[in-house]
This record gives sequence, structure tokens and C-alpha cells, in this order.
Amino acid sequence: MERAQHQENGQPILSVSNLNLHYGAAHALKNVNLDMARNQVTAFIGPSGCGKSTLLRCFNRMNDLVESARIDGSIRFNGSEINDPATDVISLRRRIGMVFQQSNPFPKSIYENIVYGLRISGVNDKATLDEAVERSLKSAAIWNEVKDRLNDSALGLSGGQAQRICIARAIAVNPEVILMDEPCSALDPISTLKIEELIEELKKSYTIVIVTHNMQQAARVSDVTAFFYMGELVEAGGTRMIFTNPEKKQTEDYITGRFG
Amino acid sequence: MPKNYTDKSRRNDRIAEAIIRVGGILVIVSVVWILVMISKVSLPLFFPASATVAAATTAAAAGAARPVAVGADEEQRGAFVFDEKGTCRFLNAKTGAVAAVIPVPGIPAGASIIFAENVGKSSYNLLWNNGVVTPTTVTFTSAQDAGGTVSFTHELSVNEKLLFPPSPGAVQSFVRSLGEKGAVRVDRLEQNKLRITTQTIEKDFLGNEKRGSNHSDITDPLPGQLTAVTVDSKGHFLYAGTSNGMLLRWDISEPGQVRLLDSVETSTGHMAITALSLILGDISVAVGDASGGLSTWFPVKMPGSSEDKQLTRIHELHSAGAPVSLMLPSSRDKTIFSLAASAINADHMTSERNLLSLKSGVPVTLASLSPKGNTLCTLDSNNKVSLWRLDIPHPEISFGTLFGKVWYEGYDKPEYAWQSSSASDDYEPKLSLTPLLFGTLKATFCAMIFAIPLALLGALYTSQFMAPKLKGRIKPVVEIMAAIPSVVIGFLAGLWLAPLVDSSVLTIFLSFVIVPLMLLVTIFFWKRIKHASLLQRITRGREFFAMIPVVMIGIYLAFLLSGIAELQLFAGDFKQWLFSTLGVRYDQRNSIIIAIALGFAVIPIIFTIAEDAISNVPRNLTAASLALGASRWQTAWRVVLPSALPGVFSAIMIGFGRAIGETMIVLMATGNTPIMSWSLFNGLRSLSANIAVEIPEAPFNSSLYRVLFLSAVLLFIFTFVINTVAEALRQRFRKKYGRY
Repeated sequence: MERAQHQENGQPILSVSNLNLHYGAAHALKNVNLDMARNQVTAFIGPSGCGKSTLLRCFNRMNDLVESARIDGSIRFNGSEINDPATDVISLRRRIGMVFQQSNPFPKSIYENIVYGLRISGVNDKATLDEAVERSLKSAAIWNEVKDRLNDSALGLSGGQAQRICIARAIAVNPEVILMDEPCSALDPISTLKIEELIEELKKSYTIVIVTHNMQQAARVSDVTAFFYMGELVEAGGTRMIFTNPEKKQTEDYITGRFG
Repeated sequence: MPKNYTDKSRRNDRIAEAIIRVGGILVIVSVVWILVMISKVSLPLFFPASATVAAATTAAAAGAARPVAVGADEEQRGAFVFDEKGTCRFLNAKTGAVAAVIPVPGIPAGASIIFAENVGKSSYNLLWNNGVVTPTTVTFTSAQDAGGTVSFTHELSVNEKLLFPPSPGAVQSFVRSLGEKGAVRVDRLEQNKLRITTQTIEKDFLGNEKRGSNHSDITDPLPGQLTAVTVDSKGHFLYAGTSNGMLLRWDISEPGQVRLLDSVETSTGHMAITALSLILGDISVAVGDASGGLSTWFPVKMPGSSEDKQLTRIHELHSAGAPVSLMLPSSRDKTIFSLAASAINADHMTSERNLLSLKSGVPVTLASLSPKGNTLCTLDSNNKVSLWRLDIPHPEISFGTLFGKVWYEGYDKPEYAWQSSSASDDYEPKLSLTPLLFGTLKATFCAMIFAIPLALLGALYTSQFMAPKLKGRIKPVVEIMAAIPSVVIGFLAGLWLAPLVDSSVLTIFLSFVIVPLMLLVTIFFWKRIKHASLLQRITRGREFFAMIPVVMIGIYLAFLLSGIAELQLFAGDFKQWLFSTLGVRYDQRNSIIIAIALGFAVIPIIFTIAEDAISNVPRNLTAASLALGASRWQTAWRVVLPSALPGVFSAIMIGFGRAIGETMIVLMATGNTPIMSWSLFNGLRSLSANIAVEIPEAPFNSSLYRVLFLSAVLLFIFTFVINTVAEALRQRFRKKYGRY
């Protein structure tokens, strides 16, 4: 299969080659090859069950939790192999953060939610934590909304706010990559808009990989779009090119809404 | 939607709502009903005593002859009056008619009675002015035939065995039977003297009786004028009170030998002692003084002295405010009736309750109690005989005796004691619930300390770390543990575990240290080989299999070490060492056994509920934590457990409730010793086990029976309060920490 090359910034930060993933007997990812460039937003699109979320979860080895998952092939992060058993999963996950489909704040205060990642790595210095909270809440564009109630439970926030708290929580540990798994699918249009603006902002400092069902969203926020179908990477390329002039018929059919 | 369909579903909703509501109300009603029923049985414990005049009549034309003693039958139908001439008149209490007049058999001519002592069961020792004492028994029974007519039998008899030669100059005489050995007579003579006469009967092997007689005068200098004298019913001890408030006690049990045991001051103001009486059981003596003060005394071993016991003031009873002229001990319990001017008071010694305070307009001169203690017969200065019907339910029960420290007869100090029965009839039941409450809490806490860590860590491991396939097997197995009948657990604990622990206490203690240590060491090495990916993949979620041999080796090591330690440190016998060095007694059925056995019973409950709560924490929270670079343990400890806290708390409280109410295991594994000891090596008795042990022995509606129901009420309130508090706390946790 043709290999997508988009390396404006030199070396790709994530590089997938010949990746196959099986859930028991089901072949969920079929020989995927893809590179993702630094400080870019890459969007994965495709119909439900096409394997886009599965691939996303390979990047921080969340598939380890699934007992039946079996992975072959290589994923390189800054040149080093992610699937190597010797890879320290904990430090990998600290460098590749993740935001989930459902906002999932911990049943703790807003403050404790943000500093969780730091606390588990042993940072307990109050000044450092305070600084990280302010920085990440500001980066997640929610500082003004919550700065007066940092000690309130995070469970009391609205869906959009909670999702931005989750983003703030992910960036508090200063990752290089943020994986977003349909981050707006449970949100109203206004919250969605805020998150999209946020992604635009975050891309300056982070590399973002986003899975989305919303084609407009992919078109709005991403630099590169990859289209998956039935576990295969059908086509990947610059977003503008994919949406205006896709190479494959399947891609065009999907984008124009003939199926999916 | 078609209209009849919505109507139908609306109707179904209403029906379902009604059924649920009725069910809920039924549950509440039945719980309340149970509470009401058990309360109803226990409430009469606190009912006040009452007395009513059942019959009153004038002691007729007694005329010149002064009455010296009165008595009545149990049904308040008839009374009798002895006058000083030795005539006994039987009166119909309803009509006042004289039913019979019988003279005391063998009255000395022209003599008159100067002192009469009621020695219980309608027996009177009558002292004549010539120094003769006639021990007279009144047989006075009423019978009702089929037609409803009541007929009386009246009879006076003199007990020949207790006859003594006359003792001229006697003012008061006390005659006591010594059973087979003879009899003793104590005379209070004029000029402040006391004389003891003993008649002994010795039988040789042929059955020939040899009679002997022995006089001894009390030669000890008396500290004051004698004002009251009494002798216990076995004729062993002589008590005397003086005008300056001194109480004296002599041992007269050896014929011919008199030994002064006590001489104590009863009041600081040297108040004259006006009445003395022994309380049922012959251990306590009641002392009434000129100011109306009433106290009871018994000999107590003084702390720090090896000498004899010394009479000590134990209970201070209600003060009548007027000189106590006569005291009547009940022959049923430790109640004492006292006469002071026109008032009659009934007090219970142990509970110190003033049961009755009867006022009569005119001074009461004589009084007696019927043998069963349900009729009080009084004679006032107007010669009126009154028969009181007494209703004194549970005089020995008060808040103080149920929950406080009580100084029981024979004890060195006030104590919390539960001892409901004994071989002897005049024994006083000790019904303090405090040691039982203590035992209940001790058993519960021991069990919880054992069960909570095991169950919660087990639940956390099973839910968060164990391979799902294994979890599917392990969880039902643990749940089956909950289905083991508690009698089986109790049986095993009492008959198998207790002897096992008994023979290997030290091994068990060492295991608690060595096994966790071994686990830590193993985990340390485990981490070293962790990167061997194949091994990791195979063992993930199954690590505990590897731990089983480690635990077994740990126990074996503890076993080996305990043998060495016992020899080297504890002189070969740990239990002996405990006792001799620390003064700790080792019971075979002790709190360690109960911790393990009761813990075993509550572990499945806590485990199952806690495991559910922990597993209900959404996967996406765990995922969020892991994605932030937390280890699985950090995730479990910092995210999962706090989120599941309300559920985990419920699990603990439900386990707690089960442990408090658990009966069979506690019954079989604790030894049921109602002691209050903090030691792990001692047994205990819990409220619930106590009910199970004692209810078959408790006579229907007796004090014990009602106290057992009261303890059931307490148990109910206990669990109710715990559950309510637990639920309130759970709601707060829920608000604070989460929804699971």
C-alpha cells in the first residue's frame, strides 16, 4: 500500500508501519502505514468500527488493557519502538496524553483533577502544582470559568467544561502528543466550537491526533486527514486535498455521504 | 399512540405503584410490630410497685391483752393476732368475725409474752416473762371447695426440738435451729448483757443421741447500751447495735466459743441503731437508726490486708425520717420492709430502689409479711388490722443494676456482672448488660479488624487486577462462603480451630509478621524478572497462584521459628509465660478465635458488596488515569477506591451489622464468659449469644426473661442506629466522592 508522506517538519513524531491488530479472531487493523508530523493536527475519519479508535489507542498502548488484543508491526514514537516490551508504558503515556469521547473527570476537585498526573509522578510541591493548574487551565481556555471554584467537585461541571478540564488534565503533564478520541461527540455545538478553537490553539505546542465522526470538524481543525474503512487505511493526505479531490472512490463516497 | 394503550400503561403504573407502596408499608409495619412486641415484654421491668389495702378489720375486743404479733394468709382472706396472754385469734379479714381462738399449747400459768420474733414462714418465737421461749408455728390455710365456700384450717404447734431451759431475766430471745446438730438460743438479758446457749446433739454410730448444753456469756466490753440484736437464720453470727451507733458482730458458730469479729461505727453522728435485720441469704445485715436512716452492710475483705473481712456499708437506702422500729426482710428476694412511725417503706437492697412508701394515718405497731411476700399485715395503734396486697414486679431491676456497677454480696468492690443463675435459691441474679454490650462490641471489632483488610484488599485485587476469567470463578466461590451456615462455622471454630490455635498461638502471631514479609520479598524479586515479557503475559492477573506457596512457606517458617522462640524466649511454654510474666490468662475460646471465625462469616459479605462497588467504577475513569501515566496500583488506590468509597463503606457497615447480630458463631466459639477484659486471650459473651443461651432457662415473665427481651430491644436499637448513621454517612460520601 502506498505510504502517506507528510513531513513538513522533518522527522515524523509518530510513524506506523505494517501494523496489524487482532482482537481474538477479528482482524481490526490491516497492515496500516502512516506517519504523523510534529505540531500538526491529524484527523482519523471513517465509519464506526473501521479501526480508527483502535489505532489511536495503539499509540499510548491502551490496548494492553484488552487481553485478547495481539499487535504485529511497528509504531515508532520519536524513532523508538512503542510495542517493544521493554518500553516504559508509564513514561510513554506521560508523553502521549489522551482525551476520551466521554468527558471523564475524576470524582475529585477541579484542582485535584488537573494535578493528578503530576501527583502520581511524585510532584507534591504546592507552587509547582499551582503553576501547572493555572497554565493548563489557561491553555484549555477554561481558567476564567473555574478559577474561583478550583476546590469544587469536577462532577458539577457541564459537559463542555468537563471535557476542557480533561484536556487541561492531559496537558498538565506536558505531553508531546495529545490523542483525542471523538472529543466532541457528546457535546452541544457551542461547546464543540470552543473545543475546536482550543485545538487550533493547542497545535502550536502539541501534536494532535483526533478521531472524529464529524466530517466538518475534520475539515475545520485538521491539517492531515486519514480515512479508514474496514480496518484498512484507505487514504491519507492533506485535509484540503482529501476533502476536495480524494484519490479513492471510497473516500469520496464517504465524504459526500453516500455511506457511513 | 392509541388511547387505550396509554390508558392501559397508566393503569399498570398505578397498580405497580400501589403494590410497591403496600409492600414498603408492610415492611415498615412488621419491623415496628416486632419492636413493639419485644418492648412489650421488657417494659414491665420498669413498672412501679403498688400496694392496696385488700381488707381491714379491727382486732376486735382484744381488750386488755396487748397484741404482740400479727400475721395473714396469702390470699388476704384471714389474719391472726397473738396477744400477750398467749392467745391466738384468727379473724376473717372481710367480716372481722373471729373464726377461732387458740391458746399457745403449754402456756406457763399466768405468764405473759414480752417478745415475739417472726422467724419466717408463719413461725414465731415467743418469749415469756419467766424466760421460756416457745417456738410456735401457725398453720393457717384456706381452701375453697367446689361450691365456692372457703374453709379455714387453724392450728398452732410448738417445735419441741427448739425448746430450751428457761433463761430468767431475758428481754429478747432468738432461737435458731442448727439442723441435725441441735439448736442455739441467744438471750439479751437485762443490764446490757448477751448470753448464748447451745444445745448439741451428737449421734454415735448406733444412732444413740447424746445431748449436750453449753452456755457462754459475751464478755467483750460493749461500746454502748444495746438497742437492737439479731441472729442469722443458721445461728452462726450474732449482730448487735448500740445506742451510740456501733454495730457489733460475733461468730457464735462454735459452741462455747464466741469471737468478736467486727465493731464498726455506722454513722458519724453516733445515731442509735434502732433495728437490725438480716436480708435473705444471711450475708447482708440491714441497719435502721433513730434518724430513719437505713443501710445494709456485709463483710468485705479490706484491700491490702490479709485479715478477716470487715463489715462495710454497702447500700444506703431511702431514709424514712423517723426512727426505724421494725424491719421485715422478704423471704423471696433482697427486699426489706421497714416501719418508721406511721410509714412503711419497702426498699430493694441491691437496686437501692424505694419500691413503696405506704403512709398510714396512725402509728403502726406491728407488721408481718406472708411467706410468699405478697401480703403485708399491719396493726396500728387503733388496733386495726390491715392486709395489703403487694404487687412488686422486678424490684431488683433498675437502670443502675442493668448498666452500672453494682456491689453485689460477696464481691470486694462494685462490678459489672452478669450471672443469672446458680445452684442456691437465695442467690441473687446479677443482670448487668454492660459486660454483654462490651462483649458484643469486642467480638465485632475483633472480627472487623480481621475481615476488613482481607475483604477489601481481596475485592480490590479481584476487581482491578485479576484476570477476568478467574474473577468469574473466584467471586461465586467467595459468595458461596456466605452461604455456609453459621452453626457450621461456629462448630469448626469451637472444636477444631480453638484447639489448633491453642497449641500454636505463637505460630499464628509469627505468621502475621512473616507471611507479609515473605510476600514483600517475593514481590521485590518478582519486579526483577518482570520484563521477561512472556512470563508477564502468562501470569498477568494470576500472580496470586505464585503467592500460595509463598504463604505456605511463610506459615511453615513461622511454625519452625515459633518452636525456637518458645524455647529461647518464653521458657518453653508461651501460655505459661503469658500468665506468669504478664499476668494474662489464656482461654482456649478467646477473641482471636472469634476474630477469625466471625471474620470468616463477614468476609464474603464485605467482599461481594465492595467488589461490586469497585467494579461499578466506570472503565473510562480507570482509562483516564492510566492514560495519564498512572500505574495500575495508583489508579486503583487514587481513583477507583475513592470513587467506590460510598459502596465500600456500605459493604463495611453491612458486615458490621451482620457481625453484631451474629449469634451461633459467637455462641460456640467464645466460651460465653461474660467478662469485661480487653485481652485478646480472653473470651466474651455477646448480647445475641446471651439471649440464645439463657432464654430456654428463663422462667416465663421472670426478671431474667424480661431482661433478655430488653437486650433484644437494645440489639435492635443498636443495629438501627448503626444502619441509620451508616446510610447518612454514605449519602454524604456519595455527594462528596461520586456516584458508585
